[in-house]
Amino acid sequence: MKFRCERDSLTNAIGRASRAVAKSTHSLIHQGLLLQLDGDSLTVTGSDIDLTIQARVEVTGFESGEVLVPSRLFVDVIRHLPLGAVDVTLAESNVVIRDARERSEFLVRTMNSADFVSVPEVETAPISVEVSDFVAGLKRVIPAARKDDSRPILTGVLVATKGSSLRLVATDSYRLGLCDLDGIDMGVDEEGVIVPSRALEEITKVMGDVDKLFVKLDDNTAVFEFDDLTVTTRLINGDFPSYENLIPTDHPNVLIANRVEMLDAIRRVRLVGDTETPIRINIQSDSVTLSSGTDRGEAKEVIENIEYKGEELQIAFNASYLNDGIEVARSDAIVLLTADALKPALLKGDGDTGFLYLLMPVRVV
Amino acid sequence: MRLVVARCTVEYEGRLAARLEEAVRLIMRKADGSLAIHADGGAYKPLNWMSPPNFLEESEGRWVVSNEAGERLVITLHEVVSDVSHDLGEDPGLWKDGVEAHLQELLANDPSVLGEDYRLIRREYPTAIGPVDLLVRDADGNVVAVEVKRRGETTGVEQLARYLEFLNKTETLAPVCGLLVAQQINPGARVLAEERGIRCLLVDYSRLKGDAPEELRLF
Repeated sequence: MKFRCERDSLTNAIGRASRAVAKSTHSLIHQGLLLQLDGDSLTVTGSDIDLTIQARVEVTGFESGEVLVPSRLFVDVIRHLPLGAVDVTLAESNVVIRDARERSEFLVRTMNSADFVSVPEVETAPISVEVSDFVAGLKRVIPAARKDDSRPILTGVLVATKGSSLRLVATDSYRLGLCDLDGIDMGVDEEGVIVPSRALEEITKVMGDVDKLFVKLDDNTAVFEFDDLTVTTRLINGDFPSYENLIPTDHPNVLIANRVEMLDAIRRVRLVGDTETPIRINIQSDSVTLSSGTDRGEAKEVIENIEYKGEELQIAFNASYLNDGIEVARSDAIVLLTADALKPALLKGDGDTGFLYLLMPVRVV
Repeated sequence: MRLVVARCTVEYEGRLAARLEEAVRLIMRKADGSLAIHADGGAYKPLNWMSPPNFLEESEGRWVVSNEAGERLVITLHEVVSDVSHDLGEDPGLWKDGVEAHLQELLANDPSVLGEDYRLIRREYPTAIGPVDLLVRDADGNVVAVEVKRRGETTGVEQLARYLEFLNKTETLAPVCGLLVAQQINPGARVLAEERGIRCLLVDYSRLKGDAPEELRLF
C-alpha cells in the first residue's frame, strides 16, 4: 500500500475515524485504525466493536492495499508533520510516513489487520434525512441520556415515529428530553429503535457541513452515511421505559423567565457548590430566587423580570440537570411548569412545541 | 486496661538491646497481657512492647516484664503522673463498612441493580470449588454468575473465570455468563474480564444501602 495525501485532509479523516477507537486499553486490536486503499480512495476505519466510524478521503494512490496502524501514534505523527503532502508507504511490518520534502520520516509498526473487527452490513434501502433538524434534535436530547452503563437501555436514545414526526427521547431516570421533528421519516415504527447516545453524539461531532444523511436500519444495527463518512452502531436491545404517562398534562404553576438570565444566574450560584449541590428555587409572583450553599459558602441570585402564575413555591433541582434543560431550550424565554416540590417539573422553550424536558426535583432538607 | 503515665527509663534485652532514656511516656497494660510503651507521637506504634504471654513483676518504682523467649523489659519509674485502670468490657469487634458480604446481601435483595429484570436464583451458590456469590437470571432467562468484590482486581476475575468454567459444565445451568461487581475495578481487571468475556459493573455502595440522600426519579 502506498499513497500521497495532503496532511490536513488525512488528519481530518483519521481524526474522525479515531473517535470510535476504544479510549481505554481494553483490547489492543480496538486501538487500531484500519487504512484501506483502493485506487485513489482511502478509507480509514476506527471501531470499538459497538461503534464504527469510516472516513473516506481522496488520495493519490500508487499501490492499493490495507494496513492496521496504532491509532494514537499514527494520528499524532500525521498531525505533527509539516504542512503539505504526506507519503504513506507500507514496508513489511512498518508504515513509513514522510513529508513530501522528505525532511521528516517516521516508521510506525503495524498491527495484524486480520484481527480487526468486521463492520456489520445493513442491506435495507437507505432513507434520506435532513441533517440540520435531526442533529439539532439530537443535541437537545442527548444530554439527558445516561452516561454510565448501570442501566444500558438508558444509555440510548429512542428514535421512533410519532404521527408525522420523528421522535427522539433520552432519559437517565432523573430527567427526560423529548424532541419531535416534523416531517422527518427515518423508516422506524412507533415502537422505534434505541440507538446508543455515544454513537449519535459522535455523529453530531464528525459529520461536517452536509445537508443530508442516509440512514439504514436493521434489527441490530444502524448505519448513518454522509458524503465521506459512515457511522455504524449496534442498536440497544430492550424496551425503552414507558415515558409518555410521566409527562404531566396539568401544571398549576407556570413560570416564564428569560433563558439567558436564568443560565447566568445558575452559573453564578453553582460557584459555591460542587457537582452534587442542588439549586434551590424560590418562585414568587414577581421574582425568582436561586440559591445554593455548601460548607464553602452560599450564593443567591434574584431574577425579577419574570411572569408567574401559581402558588409561591420552593423547589430544588440538580444544578447540572437544570442547566442542561435550559441550555437546550432554544427560545428567548423558558417556561417552567411545576405542580409541587416533589413532582416532575416540565421545562420548555416559550412557544417551542417540539421539545420538552422533564426534570425530577431534588428533595432537600 | 491499665494506663500509667510516668517519667521512666526503659531497657530491653532480647533479640537486641535497646534503651529509652528518661522521659514522660504512656505505659499501656492490656487485659490480654500485652504491654506497650508510647511516646506522645508515632501514631499507633509503641516505642517498645511485649506481646502476651508474658510475666509482669511489679515492685516499687520498677516493672520487669519477661517472657519464655528470654526477652526482658525493665521499666524504671522515676515519677508516676497518673495510674488508672478501666474495665472496657467485651469488645464487639471491628465492623468494616463496605465488606463484600454486605454488598452481596444488598445485591441479592435487589438484583435489578445488576441489570433490568435480573432475578436471584441463589446467594452463595455452592460448587465443588467454592460458593459463587450470586447466581441470577437475566431478562432472557440466561444464568449469570456474579462475583462481588469491594475492589475488582485480576484475582477476582480469575476466581470468577474458574467458577464459570465449572458452572458451564453443568448442563442444567449452561450457558453461564460472568459478571464482576465492585465499587472500584482496576484497569487490569477490566482488560482481563473482557478477555474472559466477563462483564464488569460498578456499584455505589452508599446508594445501595440507602445512605445517599433519597433521590427522586421519574421511574
